[in-house]
Amino acid sequence: MSVPAGSSRDAIVELRDVHLKLESQAGEVNILRGLDLTVQRGETLAVVGPSGSGKSTMMMVMAGLERASQGGVTVAGQDLGDLDEDGLALFRRRRVGIVFQGFHLIPTMTARENVAVPLEFAGETDAFARADSALGQVGLGHRLTHYPGQLSGGEQQRAALARALVIAPDLLLADEPTGNLDRATGQQIVELMFDLARGRRTTLVLITHDAELAARCDRVVRMEDGRIAEDAPAALRATR
Amino acid sequence: MTGTGWNLAWRLARRELRGGLRGFRVFLACLALGVAAIAGVGSLASSVTKALRDDARVLLDGDVELSFTHRQATGEQLTHLAASGRVSIVAEMRAMASAGDSRMLVELKAVDAPYPLVGQARTAPEAPLQDLLGLRGGEWGALAERATLVRLGLKVGDLLRVGEREFRVRGVIERESDRSANVFTLGPRVMIADMALPGTGLVQPGSLVRWLYRVALPAGSDATAFTEDLKLRFPQAGWRIRALSEAAPGLQRWVDRIAMFLTLVGLTALLVGGVGVANAVRSFIDGKTATIATLKCIGAPSALVMRVYLLQVLVMAAIGIAVGLLVGGLVPAVVAPLIAQAMGVEVRTGVFAMPLALGTAYGLLVALAFAFWPVAQARDVPAGALFRALIVPPRAWPRRDVLVVTAAAVMALSALAIVTSLDRKLGAGFVAGAAVTFLVFRLAASLIRRVARRMPAPHSPMLRLALANLHRPGGNLNGIVLSLGLGLTVLTIIALVHGNFSQALRTQLPEIAPSFFFIDIQPDQLPAFDKAVAETKGVGVVQRVPSLRGRITALNGVPVDRAVVSPDAQWAIGSDRGLTYSSTLPRDARIVAGSWWPADYRGPPLVSFDAQIARGMGLKLGDTITINVLGREVVARIANLRAIDWSTLGINFTLIFAPGTLEGAPQTWIATAQVDREHEDALERAIGRALPNVSSIRVRDALATIDGVLGSIARAAQLTASVTLLAGALTLAGAVAATQRRRIYDAVVLKVLGARRLDVLKALIVEFGLIGFAVASIAIMAGSTAAWLLVTHYMRVEFSWLPLTALSVVGGAVVAVILIGLAGTWRALGQKPAPLLRNA
Repeated sequence: MSVPAGSSRDAIVELRDVHLKLESQAGEVNILRGLDLTVQRGETLAVVGPSGSGKSTMMMVMAGLERASQGGVTVAGQDLGDLDEDGLALFRRRRVGIVFQGFHLIPTMTARENVAVPLEFAGETDAFARADSALGQVGLGHRLTHYPGQLSGGEQQRAALARALVIAPDLLLADEPTGNLDRATGQQIVELMFDLARGRRTTLVLITHDAELAARCDRVVRMEDGRIAEDAPAALRATR
Repeated sequence: MTGTGWNLAWRLARRELRGGLRGFRVFLACLALGVAAIAGVGSLASSVTKALRDDARVLLDGDVELSFTHRQATGEQLTHLAASGRVSIVAEMRAMASAGDSRMLVELKAVDAPYPLVGQARTAPEAPLQDLLGLRGGEWGALAERATLVRLGLKVGDLLRVGEREFRVRGVIERESDRSANVFTLGPRVMIADMALPGTGLVQPGSLVRWLYRVALPAGSDATAFTEDLKLRFPQAGWRIRALSEAAPGLQRWVDRIAMFLTLVGLTALLVGGVGVANAVRSFIDGKTATIATLKCIGAPSALVMRVYLLQVLVMAAIGIAVGLLVGGLVPAVVAPLIAQAMGVEVRTGVFAMPLALGTAYGLLVALAFAFWPVAQARDVPAGALFRALIVPPRAWPRRDVLVVTAAAVMALSALAIVTSLDRKLGAGFVAGAAVTFLVFRLAASLIRRVARRMPAPHSPMLRLALANLHRPGGNLNGIVLSLGLGLTVLTIIALVHGNFSQALRTQLPEIAPSFFFIDIQPDQLPAFDKAVAETKGVGVVQRVPSLRGRITALNGVPVDRAVVSPDAQWAIGSDRGLTYSSTLPRDARIVAGSWWPADYRGPPLVSFDAQIARGMGLKLGDTITINVLGREVVARIANLRAIDWSTLGINFTLIFAPGTLEGAPQTWIATAQVDREHEDALERAIGRALPNVSSIRVRDALATIDGVLGSIARAAQLTASVTLLAGALTLAGAVAATQRRRIYDAVVLKVLGARRLDVLKALIVEFGLIGFAVASIAIMAGSTAAWLLVTHYMRVEFSWLPLTALSVVGGAVVAVILIGLAGTWRALGQKPAPLLRNA
């Protein structure tokens, strides 16, 4: 059963009856079928569900990487429907950090440059200094000039985390951030991510298949077939 | 302002460029090859041109040269010249040289004591010219080129007969500084003293002697003012004035023309390379999908992303162009020694800005025209590509700004090709031809894809795979078909144009052309000539006509230097033209406008003119032409126009006068004779004995000379065209490499299913073979059409299709290119299945 959350003055993400249809050769595919979801500032939300249930697509809609075919999307007070493509890029640059399962660092740039890029986009003059400090916070202060190819998987994900957080986003989106890491390394990344998010009151939306990780969040949303099948506090869910 | 401008784009581009040239090798090679071809041809032409300009005074042997045919300067003219500077008088003509029974046509040059004024003649043994040529012990001396001595079986010290006088050969001419390469000379040089010339009996009224008056002006004199003054002082002189700017006009024209053709061939290489450039950029952008999507995810606007990749491509283009310029710029240094030998010009090496600039412009425009669209596709990479493995189909039609930039680059490219072409019409034809060829091969690619899709599935799985590869999405058929097609078309054109010329020269012409031309027959020698011909066996058709020389000086009263004359008719006003007169319509003449005059016409001068030149000069029936004949200006009205087929090598005259104008002028006759091959020597000997002053020109020898020269040009063209094919092969290799991952996967899966390496190879051979066959067939058709247009409309020679030539050239090229393509795939065949499957 879906539990629609009510709108709130301190909401960072508000999805209202969001539908997403994609054209494919086989015809129209309904990927999202009427999502209603509100996430508060500082809240941590886990999104779980089987493959193809629409988790990643919902995250792309929140990041403004995919447009809803129907319904409203407001993130950090901005109605994303009002923005054109470049407007969305500008919005992401200021408000949203993303961490991927596959890290997606730019292979031709050093760790420092990778982290500095979003600041450089914003025209910040102290981009490198802030990147160095962000890398220091994730424990990579000694790896500033290393290229992604010279970093371990865990180090790459830390650099990616530093890049996502260096802009002090309102919303941090993480798509299975530990999926490509061994258990111990994954654990370290998760600790770091939660610490940094809490410290900055950053809202964290996390896609995961890991029940233990989901349980660490304030709230867990389970998706099925493009709909929210369940939305409950993690503690409550854990007791069932 | 936020950092989305070019500065930030450049910063990001620089970071990405640290990855090195990987993925850009084909791109760089394609651009470098094309630019090198263009810059190389241009640099070489410039170095020859510079040599001609720097050595102009030596080549002209003075500051100004005045030339007459038939006649000499008047005393008044000579006095004026002598008062203006140092003067040297040289006579040049064709004559027969003989020793015993051996006779040959030579280029005779009689020189005076001041010769050479500026340059030098190198002889063996080395001695002052006048010592070698002068009268000694009752004998005049002569110098000959080695070829003369070899042909006549002489050595230095032997006697050589020229006309009616015997000369003692006192040395060999190794080099005359005033004789730059005469591309079509009919015989080697023999040099004598001017004082000895009258004794040869060769100088008769109307005989074809060119008298050259060279003037070396005192230092600091103004040569232009001097020539202007000459024109005012002797307006009726009828001489041809050559200044330093046209010291070697024939050679310069020749160099310009060949350079133009080779530049167009080089441009084709660049266009073929352009296809490779487009493919390379497309697969580069494909490979960057993750990076582009990442940049977009962290907030890079599309425009910034495109700038980042455009800058990278431009940097690579700059590197490719620089390499091309370096290689092209070195061409003169490498080729100069060969050219110097062939042309008799000291070629200057150096850096020539213009051809390098032209190569740069072509390279940049081609890079922009071909790379901008694929680069712009970086904008269309969705950020969501990071969340799912999306196959993003390229937009069928580019965005408007891409279309505008690409169209502008294509138009600039076309304009550049036309404007820098010596012959604008040919340049425009090239642009149109290239556009049509592109379109044809683009359609051909669609057709191949469609046919492959519709064909009934063959039994063999390998054949099925080969067919499927032709039409599966993500393939690179367009690029392969375009580049291979363009390269093969150019090769077909060159092979067929050269083949047609060669065939005409070797087989067709000798059949229809006369065997001999006889020149300088005096009117009173005609009975003796007729008798000699009649007494020789095997002689067929003989034609003889009176011949004079004259220069066209005005058209409808407008001096030719102020008249508008199209480039293809310029040759008719540049120098003396042959003139004749006739009461009756000559055999083979074809009148296309007006009518022939009555046989007993006696009235104001009428002339029959070449229709094509008339068109080039804007003349029609009833217009007047002023011709200076032996110093006398004759104004003649055009009575009719003839279509002249010069290719038969029969006696043809641009200008034929009606009776009543030229009969009284000093003249000689020229004759042609057709004779069985085995009687050629006999006829030449008979004429030589009866008429020692008459020169006989063996058409077969002249044709062989021309064939040899054309052969060299064709080799140069083929060499340049092979650059085109190399660019095509590179493009193919690049295209194969771009699909390498897919091919490796195919090969692995097939091997898992039990296919042997040979089976997989067969599928590839079938795939490339099908493409090669289809493209070669179309290239032969397109190339043949273009060759037919060039040969019949531009060169005005009859075209015959040479299937064997076309097939062998194109077939060989296809096999070569396919082998290169297969070499690129060999790695795919050798792939071990297990590691790939573990990673899958």
